[in-house]
Amino acid sequence: MKNLWMRVKEAINDLATIWADEMKMCIKDEGVLIFFILVPLAYPLLYSWIYNNEVVREVPVAVVDLNHSTLSREFIRKCDASPDVNVTYHCNSLAEARELMGRQEVYGVLYLPSDFEQLLNRGEQASVGVYCDMSLMLTYKAIYMTAMTVSSAMNSDIQIQNSSLTATTQRDEEITTKPLDFEEVPIFNPTSGYGNAVLPAVLVIIIQQTLLLGIGLSAGTAREKNRFKSLVSVKEHKNGLFRIVGGKALCYFMIYAVLTAYLTLVVPKIFSFTTIASGRDLLGLMFPYLLSCIFFGMFLSCLIRYRENVMLIVVFTSLILLFMTGVSWPESNIPGFWQGVSWLFPSTFGVRGFLTLSSMGGGLETVEPEYAALWIQTVVYFLATCIVYQVQINRASK
Amino acid sequence: MIRKILHIAARECRLMYGNTIYLFCMVLLPVFTVVFFTSLLGDGQPTELPVGIVDLDNTATTRNMIRNLDGFQTTRVVAHYSTANEARLAMQKGEIYAFLYIPKGTTEGLMSSKQPKVSFYYNGVVMLAGSTTMRDLKTICTLGSAAVGKTKLEMLGKTESEIMTFLQPIKIDLHMLNNPWANYNVYLSASMIPGLLMLFIYLLTPYSIGTELKFGRAKEWMEMAGNNPLIAIAGKMLPQTMVHLIVFYGFEFYVYHILQFPHPGGIWPILFLGLMAVLSAQAFGIFCFGLMPSLRMSMSVCSLWAMLSFSLAGATFPVFAMDTFIQGVSWLFPLRHYYQIYQICIFNGFGMEYAWINWVCMLCFMILPVFVLRNIRRAMLEYKYIP
Repeated sequence: MKNLWMRVKEAINDLATIWADEMKMCIKDEGVLIFFILVPLAYPLLYSWIYNNEVVREVPVAVVDLNHSTLSREFIRKCDASPDVNVTYHCNSLAEARELMGRQEVYGVLYLPSDFEQLLNRGEQASVGVYCDMSLMLTYKAIYMTAMTVSSAMNSDIQIQNSSLTATTQRDEEITTKPLDFEEVPIFNPTSGYGNAVLPAVLVIIIQQTLLLGIGLSAGTAREKNRFKSLVSVKEHKNGLFRIVGGKALCYFMIYAVLTAYLTLVVPKIFSFTTIASGRDLLGLMFPYLLSCIFFGMFLSCLIRYRENVMLIVVFTSLILLFMTGVSWPESNIPGFWQGVSWLFPSTFGVRGFLTLSSMGGGLETVEPEYAALWIQTVVYFLATCIVYQVQINRASK
Repeated sequence: MIRKILHIAARECRLMYGNTIYLFCMVLLPVFTVVFFTSLLGDGQPTELPVGIVDLDNTATTRNMIRNLDGFQTTRVVAHYSTANEARLAMQKGEIYAFLYIPKGTTEGLMSSKQPKVSFYYNGVVMLAGSTTMRDLKTICTLGSAAVGKTKLEMLGKTESEIMTFLQPIKIDLHMLNNPWANYNVYLSASMIPGLLMLFIYLLTPYSIGTELKFGRAKEWMEMAGNNPLIAIAGKMLPQTMVHLIVFYGFEFYVYHILQFPHPGGIWPILFLGLMAVLSAQAFGIFCFGLMPSLRMSMSVCSLWAMLSFSLAGATFPVFAMDTFIQGVSWLFPLRHYYQIYQICIFNGFGMEYAWINWVCMLCFMILPVFVLRNIRRAMLEYKYIP
């Protein structure tokens, strides 16, 4: 009994020593410090600043009005008055407008043909040409949507005028032009803000990527310093597998518990993104997410021979992982193969779960599949880490 | 001098051959990137996006509307829910991106001209899926409305063309220039892939210079160049430039020739831009190392720069919509100029003079290393590697 007590005490002691060594290393090593502290603190602020304006307003367009009539001017005026489009040039021909597009003065052209009003007055269908620069999807959407809204507003005016023959009351006119009323409701991101949609995902990915970079750098340093290029040093007798893995993981976990709170609670508040997660749910999701990221990082770090190599491998994956989460390209359209690949990474489930909790206000029970997947990853990567560390320990003690 | 350069280049080839990380970062991972994006976005447009229905009315009219919605290429009706709350829950779980809510009495209201109201809800967090499903739902509601109007007008004895004119007097004639399919593969692959290819160059350039210090080969290297940093760098970069160029041109050949991405600008801007992209990225990497002759610092700065450039290139969120200060900062990113030149000269087919300022900026990036050559020389001869 006493023997057991001694062993437990010794294990805790060793664990704490390894924890302390790793902690010291993290603070002393500038490279690790950059990725553990500086990047998670500063990068989200920078990103949020870039996307601060959230939506594209007042997209400059050129107008080619060959009709010069009351109705064509009304169309232009209404477009100009809309929040998304700004009429900056009036041109005499499409060629002139095209020239402006080449110089990037405008991102679209509204073309009103010379018979615009005549056709309408004759009771025929008139068309308005909308030319959009397709290299920017957001400006294309802004211009096209504005043109659609203005045309449908003008259409109902014209309809009311024309139907005054058949309709008897004003209400009757309204119903004839729009027998079925409808309402569109964007939910979870009511302003359709770009930053509001993309940044929460980026924040969660930053957690994983900086952890991978930091752990990889620190493991690379250890390998370069230790004899025989092994990951664990032979100098101590503290070679218990769980002590080493546990001590290191505890160190990373403590640092990232603070940073995760900052990234998931403080940053969204500062830039007023939608955050409607309850503390309990967020804690519940982020706990397995952090653990799986840490063990994933520790597992991968065994493959790193030189400390700088980790940057070459990890940095580029950030963008690929972001696309795999389904934030920009919808999840239902990701080919099966890439779906499978995406399940290897904690970020896939972390991002999906976080968006559901924080941006869509779901509870922990709504993210059950993600939650379960994160715990499975935690267990699998923990075991994998133990195996590779055991190999390293064996090699070191040889 | 040329002999010295070739000598160093030969040495560099041996080094590259001996370190597998070069094979990975110069060839395998860039190829992986190209394959990843072009296959992920292979559909071009999202199709068959899952949409839910809350039909409390459940009549022939509403069922017809739902069937029409299901017929659209971009949406697929996957589930019917009995309450809006259930539909919202499914949306939170990510099972559907949008749902249509038809309250009880809609058909009855239509028949008796009471102007009933239906609503559709779409998820604004997944922007592309949300806006695509929104477009379809809006169309179906408008069509539903029009169908009723059409019946009424037919009753009054109007002809087909009269009815069309009545329902839509002003028609929007949309021209999506150069990408009439709104193909997202064309849109995203053209900006993301070169960004990632440049990222590898950004990182690998300081890595290859810095490892000279790290592995204690710096003095030998400078000696071969007669302590002339220009010759040393030129010789070292030459084989790398070749490989990077081959990979970059391979990417351009694949997307413009095999996948036939629109490129009305023709081959010359494509070739020039590829060359400029590789050289400016290399120059930027050399410059970073010259400023901070430490492997770790220069690589960290390069990776942060590379990641930021995806946002500041302005492909996803336009630069003119950002804060004025950020607009200024965006000029410091080679990828920004790459994207400007791409969209003006290649994608929209305007002459190269339209993007002259961006070409000049790319050239400026290429001159940058000149300012730090002395620094690199000093670093190579005097510094020691600190981990």
